[in-house]
Amino acid sequence: MSKYAMNGITLMQYIILIHASQVGTGIFSLPRQLAETSGTDGWMTVLLAWIINCLAGWIMLLTLRKYPDFTLLDLLSHLFGKWLGKLLALPLIIYFASFGLVIMVNSMLYIKSWFLTKTPAYLVVLLFAIPSYLVVRNGLRVQARYIELVFYMTMWMPLFMLIPVGEGNTLFLLPFLKEGWLPVLQGLQKTVFAYAGFEILFIIYPFLQKKKYAIHGFLIGNTLTLLYYLFITIVCFIFYTPDGITTLNQPVLSLLKNIEFRFLERFDMIFLAIYLLVVSKAWIIYISCAVFSTAQIFKKQDHSIFSGIYFLFAVASVYVMNPTWNQSEEWTKLLSKAAFGVMYMFPVVLYIYVRGFEMLRRGKTG
Amino acid sequence: MYFFSRFYKKYPSQKRIKMGKMNQIHEETAEDRLISIELFQNIKEIKQKFPASPDLVIHQFTTGLKQTRVALVYLDGLTDKNSLNNNILRPMMYDSREVNETPLPTISSCRTVSSWRDVENAILQGESVLFFEGQVEVRVFDTTGWPQRSIEDPQLESSLKGAHQGFVETGVQNIALLRRYIPNLELRIKEHIVGRRGKTNVWIMYLEDIAHPEVLKELEKRIEQIDIDAVINTGELAEYIEDNRYSPFPQFILTERPDSAVSQLLQGRFVVVVDRSPSVIIAPATFISFFQSVDDYSMRWLIASFIRLLRFLAFMIALLLPAVYIAFLSFNYEVVPLQLFLSIAESRARVPFPPLLEAMMMEIMLEMMREAGIRLPAPVGQTIGIVGGIVVGQAAVQAGIVSNIMVIVVASTAIASFILPSYDMGTAVRLLRFPMMLIASLFGIIGIVIGFMTLLAHLVALESLGTPYGSPLAPFRWQDMRDTFVRFPLWSMFRRPESTRAIQEIRMGRKRSKEKDS
Repeated sequence: MSKYAMNGITLMQYIILIHASQVGTGIFSLPRQLAETSGTDGWMTVLLAWIINCLAGWIMLLTLRKYPDFTLLDLLSHLFGKWLGKLLALPLIIYFASFGLVIMVNSMLYIKSWFLTKTPAYLVVLLFAIPSYLVVRNGLRVQARYIELVFYMTMWMPLFMLIPVGEGNTLFLLPFLKEGWLPVLQGLQKTVFAYAGFEILFIIYPFLQKKKYAIHGFLIGNTLTLLYYLFITIVCFIFYTPDGITTLNQPVLSLLKNIEFRFLERFDMIFLAIYLLVVSKAWIIYISCAVFSTAQIFKKQDHSIFSGIYFLFAVASVYVMNPTWNQSEEWTKLLSKAAFGVMYMFPVVLYIYVRGFEMLRRGKTG
Repeated sequence: MYFFSRFYKKYPSQKRIKMGKMNQIHEETAEDRLISIELFQNIKEIKQKFPASPDLVIHQFTTGLKQTRVALVYLDGLTDKNSLNNNILRPMMYDSREVNETPLPTISSCRTVSSWRDVENAILQGESVLFFEGQVEVRVFDTTGWPQRSIEDPQLESSLKGAHQGFVETGVQNIALLRRYIPNLELRIKEHIVGRRGKTNVWIMYLEDIAHPEVLKELEKRIEQIDIDAVINTGELAEYIEDNRYSPFPQFILTERPDSAVSQLLQGRFVVVVDRSPSVIIAPATFISFFQSVDDYSMRWLIASFIRLLRFLAFMIALLLPAVYIAFLSFNYEVVPLQLFLSIAESRARVPFPPLLEAMMMEIMLEMMREAGIRLPAPVGQTIGIVGGIVVGQAAVQAGIVSNIMVIVVASTAIASFILPSYDMGTAVRLLRFPMMLIASLFGIIGIVIGFMTLLAHLVALESLGTPYGSPLAPFRWQDMRDTFVRFPLWSMFRRPESTRAIQEIRMGRKRSKEKDS
């Protein structure tokens, strides 16, 4: 048995982990970003990006399948030796850690601008840090449980998006491909941040109990995200005019503003507050990946110290930098580039290297 | 020496252990001393061992044809006088005049011991001990009989349709109550003794072919590790063996209902019976199991499901309603529709306090009334309810200290927290309400969401005897959903819940019922 078996996760948890790591704050501005570059054909971009992601994940799993009990660090030190492996893992850990931080900062900005305008930023991040620390300090199994529970608890949320659909106009979607394929392809880079997340496969794969369903699980998780994004994008495109949508910063939130009940005004506030649960899933999984790998570098079984340090660092850095929307936008762009590397280039390079590595070794022994 | 060593923790421990060991060895040799052959020697020894015990009875008489001198020793009050007189003294003193050999008392349980330690223990447990002149062996008769309460309706967990027999303070009787439900050889009982001075018998009951052996091992390990003076109550034992000592949530079900204990046994859980305590521990518990009650299974399943959903709603109300009130009034008033807000504002116009203070005041008042109601005798307790609920509530509103809406909020919170079938879970909710109110007053809705997230994070990480506490919600188990939010019809619940890690998954007898149908 592998050493990760006692912390194993079920297939369902694996699916939800992949889905949860993808859906975060990116969804709020995704329809606008897509509309800006690819017009009303943006939803096709979402579909296209999904296909690419499936391929990328497949390549990742092709590599991982050969080493079913290896996490990223084990794999890298196996391939490149102990020290070089650790050195190579470092940028990835930083990537995971900063991704978690950026998601937290993004949600902090949303919360600050909608709810707690006068509360200092670091205090809001501190608020996030308390429950997250309680989850992250435990094993992956606990995180999987948290994410699973939150997933089931928040499944009803997209349904509310259906309420304003009646007032929309499906004609806004037509004609398809009015400007050809090019804008659709150009929009792809905008989806990277929204779809980023399945690179956690490198960390969670060895924990999966039924390895033979890894690819199925990944596809289901990714498709779940696709459906989520496709649904939101189409709803936004139907509700807003093709030009109107680009003037809104977060069209999804503006859409929610139109929902009103007799007993509850400003439903969007409550929706956004509860949506915090959904976003927390994303940052928790990223942070736990970073923290887990760090603990592995230092050869510690227990990573609770590292998670404590991480959250202290996160609060401190927000306190020092006091990030604004523009800064976060920049970071998001930067991270999108990094995510492009981690999600699409790294797996391919790794796969080719592994093939070469194996052939070389086989040559040696044979 | 001991006193000081407590403060200098660095090097005294070893010394202390050594001394403790020496003491122990000394004690052991002293107590394992054998019985003397001379009767008068033994009686002297007994009198020495029980110096200030006026309830110790040493009854000397002769028996048999040979007129052997014997002495019967027991503690008055702990023994059953009837069986002493009729089953021991009568055959030995009266019927045995013509019998040549040593006569035998007519009592069911009788054993022979030969060390002083056993003799002492036997006497302290309420057994009677018979010394013979010229014998190094002593007879011990089970004549235990102490003041007992008859079996009554469970006080804390009343039920409409369940059995009306509750556990009592005698462990053996509690075991018998459980055995009556499952007359099956697979029902196993493991005995442990807890407490150096108290020597409380603790029995772990389980069904051998259903319960998971690993959980049993864990449970036994934890019970064996307890090293204390005495265990008075089941709740004490639970606190010594639970997983997380800082959690507000109960990690074991404590019940005084044999029927609910049995249904848990059948699901693959363990029942720990503690002697001298009228409730038993059921382990491992899950969060959901505190929302299930025996009545759920004897009612129509639709109605039972409705009531169970009501309980979950009540849990949320009891936990969040005051917090939501505070958040909406002091922070996020834009969420409340204008009409409603106006009527709230009208009733709050005279109240000089911020919502948090208002809510805290009323909630603490309510908690006090509740606690006062428990301590008072039943007839007076009702008066407290009337005085507290009606008079104080009404007067507070009229005096302009609290608003009408606040009284409604507090009252519905109180009712909601009473619906929970488990008292322990109810108290957990009562306590958690206050931090929720505090964080809501600081951060509004976001505070509530963060508080809720923290609660989720805690619940998800919590375990009971190594099994996840959040199961079947986290980890999610489809099969167990049949008995979670909705109680499915009994015939569809042919599986035992996965959350208990039962090794026999399918309940017995399903095949048979199928054959009957066809």
